[in-house]
Amino acid sequence: MSFLELRGIRKTYPGVLANDDISLHVEAGEIHGLVGENGAGKSTLMKLLYGMEQPDAGEIRLNGKRVMIANPQDAIRLGIGMVHQHFQLVPSLTVAENIALGAEPRYGPFLNRFRLRRQVQALSEQFGLQVDPNALVSDLPVGLQQRVEILKMLYRNARLLILDEPSAVLTPQEVESLFGVLRRLVAGGCTAIFITHKLYEIMALCTRATVLRRGRVVGTVQTVDTTPSEIARLMVGHEVEAPVITEAPADGRRRPRLEVRNLQITSGSRRATQIDLTVFGGEILGIAGVEGNGQQELVEALIGVADGVSGEVLLDGESITRVPTRTRRERGLALIPEDRQTEGLSKAMAIWENLSAGDYYQQAQGLGVLPLGQMRAMAAGLLNRFDIRATDERVGVGTLSGGNAQKVVIARELMRDPSVLVAVQPTRGLDIGAAGFVQEQLLRLRGAGVGVLLISADLDELLALSDRIAVLFNGRIVAQFPRAAATREQIGLAMAGKTMSENIL
Amino acid sequence: MKSLAPIIRTVLTILLALLVGGIIMQLSGKDALNAYGVLLNSAFGNPRAIANTLLTATPLIFTGLATLIAFRAGIFNVGVEGSLYVGAFAAAWVGFTFTGLPALPLIGLCFSAGALVGGLWGLIPGYLKARLRVDEIVTTIMLNYVAILFTDYLVTGPFFVPGMANAMSAQVAEQAQLPRLVERSQLNASFILALVSVIVVAWLLRRTTLGYEVKTIGSNPLFARWMGMPVARTILLVMFISGLLGGLAGAGQVLGVHYRFVSGFSRGLGFDGIVVALLGRNSPLGALLAALFLGALRNGSSTMEMFTQIPRDLIDIVIALVIFFVAVEISFGWLKRRTIAAATPEAEQKGQADGLA
Repeated sequence: MSFLELRGIRKTYPGVLANDDISLHVEAGEIHGLVGENGAGKSTLMKLLYGMEQPDAGEIRLNGKRVMIANPQDAIRLGIGMVHQHFQLVPSLTVAENIALGAEPRYGPFLNRFRLRRQVQALSEQFGLQVDPNALVSDLPVGLQQRVEILKMLYRNARLLILDEPSAVLTPQEVESLFGVLRRLVAGGCTAIFITHKLYEIMALCTRATVLRRGRVVGTVQTVDTTPSEIARLMVGHEVEAPVITEAPADGRRRPRLEVRNLQITSGSRRATQIDLTVFGGEILGIAGVEGNGQQELVEALIGVADGVSGEVLLDGESITRVPTRTRRERGLALIPEDRQTEGLSKAMAIWENLSAGDYYQQAQGLGVLPLGQMRAMAAGLLNRFDIRATDERVGVGTLSGGNAQKVVIARELMRDPSVLVAVQPTRGLDIGAAGFVQEQLLRLRGAGVGVLLISADLDELLALSDRIAVLFNGRIVAQFPRAAATREQIGLAMAGKTMSENIL
Repeated sequence: MKSLAPIIRTVLTILLALLVGGIIMQLSGKDALNAYGVLLNSAFGNPRAIANTLLTATPLIFTGLATLIAFRAGIFNVGVEGSLYVGAFAAAWVGFTFTGLPALPLIGLCFSAGALVGGLWGLIPGYLKARLRVDEIVTTIMLNYVAILFTDYLVTGPFFVPGMANAMSAQVAEQAQLPRLVERSQLNASFILALVSVIVVAWLLRRTTLGYEVKTIGSNPLFARWMGMPVARTILLVMFISGLLGGLAGAGQVLGVHYRFVSGFSRGLGFDGIVVALLGRNSPLGALLAALFLGALRNGSSTMEMFTQIPRDLIDIVIALVIFFVAVEISFGWLKRRTIAAATPEAEQKGQADGLA
């Protein structure tokens, strides 16, 4: 008898079959991986298990008994705890207060701080999760905040932990430490479901993994009997090829296309950054770093929407520091922003309108009249060229899938033959096919002599595509590696702010 | 056009409001069916009734357009009323000052003055928003009081005309008074200018770079900024045009109806523009229809009051119900879209991230 058993789970949303006849066993004391592409149904399945949604059909059995989970309170009562990808913590409260929030020990109407502290301390000792119960959550690094999230669930006596993409916000070292924590928890009698799309994590941590594709279970594998490429094949449904990278052109042919000199951004309450870097034509410079270490500030300063910028930005040798956004784009700066839904597209507008956003004013005839027919025809051409799947160019961008929406952004940015492309997390949230398309485009530009600045939190992507990798920590470039010398460990250390002199070039 | 669904929904909304209004009438002991019959007859029963409906609708068309062009750009301009007052006074001032000019140049000058002053008035909150990021709702509401009281001061102080019972300016020159379109009705040439304005605004929004910028900024200002659109310039331009249309509304009332500036004459025509824009779903053609609908209710209700025992306040209740139902329906539609978006797998992760952040 399994600890947790899902039988024939089915869930439909209007027009979408999110989970179709899913059956799954999780044994007591195992770390069970749940993998699949975006939209494969992982999140839906876990929402059903945590009571945030109700299945249309099928049953959930815990220790052999059928259970109904109407809401997260029910789930917690049954010992099921969820650690969300986006932490649900109150930054201004202490660790102990956060852990007990909603279930505090009391003295009549008052909070019993003494007992609370003791309980939290006992808990963190029992599971080996060291964290200062009196520290403010806002002062903790992300890795420890995640620990607080886990403790929160243990405090509520959760014995089945669901972790939704827990490694997305961590440095490689923090990931290792999380793995250690999970192994201790399992040794201490817990069971875990670990959701991810990173294959090496599955191989390193899980005993078994279930692969979802398009809402169905396509296989459950023992990690000792399988290989990452086997799991990837199951996820996608066909063989996956890694992007092929040719050597960067010889140094003699390289010329700097984007130069950033002593760039400082001191805007309002935001962290000051100080950045120097150079992107050469025909190379991809990767920027690694944990999110929130100055990436957004750098992008805003490059595109020209930040306040309080000093230092200098040169595009093909010419200063664009004090030039408005529109002029920067005209001079050949292109951008794939991190959040395509807000920074890269206007969801309420049609595809052709989004495709015209960069050059509509150049199309205008007398009196500012736009040649709408011509603009739509041009958009239709781009739909074809960039393989954007939509009935026609008048479809609203908001109805497109993530991959197609990203293709709209890319089509708009690349149709003008840019000299520099800044790409921020360009494959985030895309399925493997669309991500491959995006990566191909980056490599194509690189081959055409464009300078590509690739800012990403995904180390695998950076290692696969970049000619050089620079690491951003606390608003500064703390290390740079040529691809041949870059290792996951070294980059990880730099991401955490630990520089070693020999790493710096 | 795109789809009939919004029109059908609007009509249903109006019918629902009329139904609830009718129930209220019945509950207060009136014969609702009879009341609506009289109302309809008073609004459309004969050529003069129709003319008066169009007359009542005329300023609402202007103020509706003024409001919707700002709404389209995501600017909540509540200051059309203020532009209307200063524009009206400017038009009146030209009309009673340059009395030597022949009709056409003088009328042109009056409207230009009204439009320009109204537009400049709109630029004040426009500048504050575009350059200093001051919330336009607060500034436009406040500037309305400034405009109303300032014009009141003008006609009780510097432009005081002795011997008048109320605070009002001198009469505009006879040749500046707009020609009437129908016998025994005040319907005048400003109605035609209103229709032309509908076409011009529709053309601006649909066919020009300005319209494109308005749409982009209105739907996603962050995106507009990241694409390098001249956001501040567009806000200024939109606020100028919005104020300009408000000024035209005021000038039209002065030159076509009152022939002078009367202190406090508008009684909320500028605010009615919000209702018109909402009911017309921010489309120029929709605003025209909404203004005609509101004009019919207003015009019909004053006659209805004379022939039945039903006070026109009850029609104001019906108008309020229309606004209420339209607002509910719009937010409901928005909610429904959100729910569907959240349920699709593509939005799944994004929606979850939003919900938990």
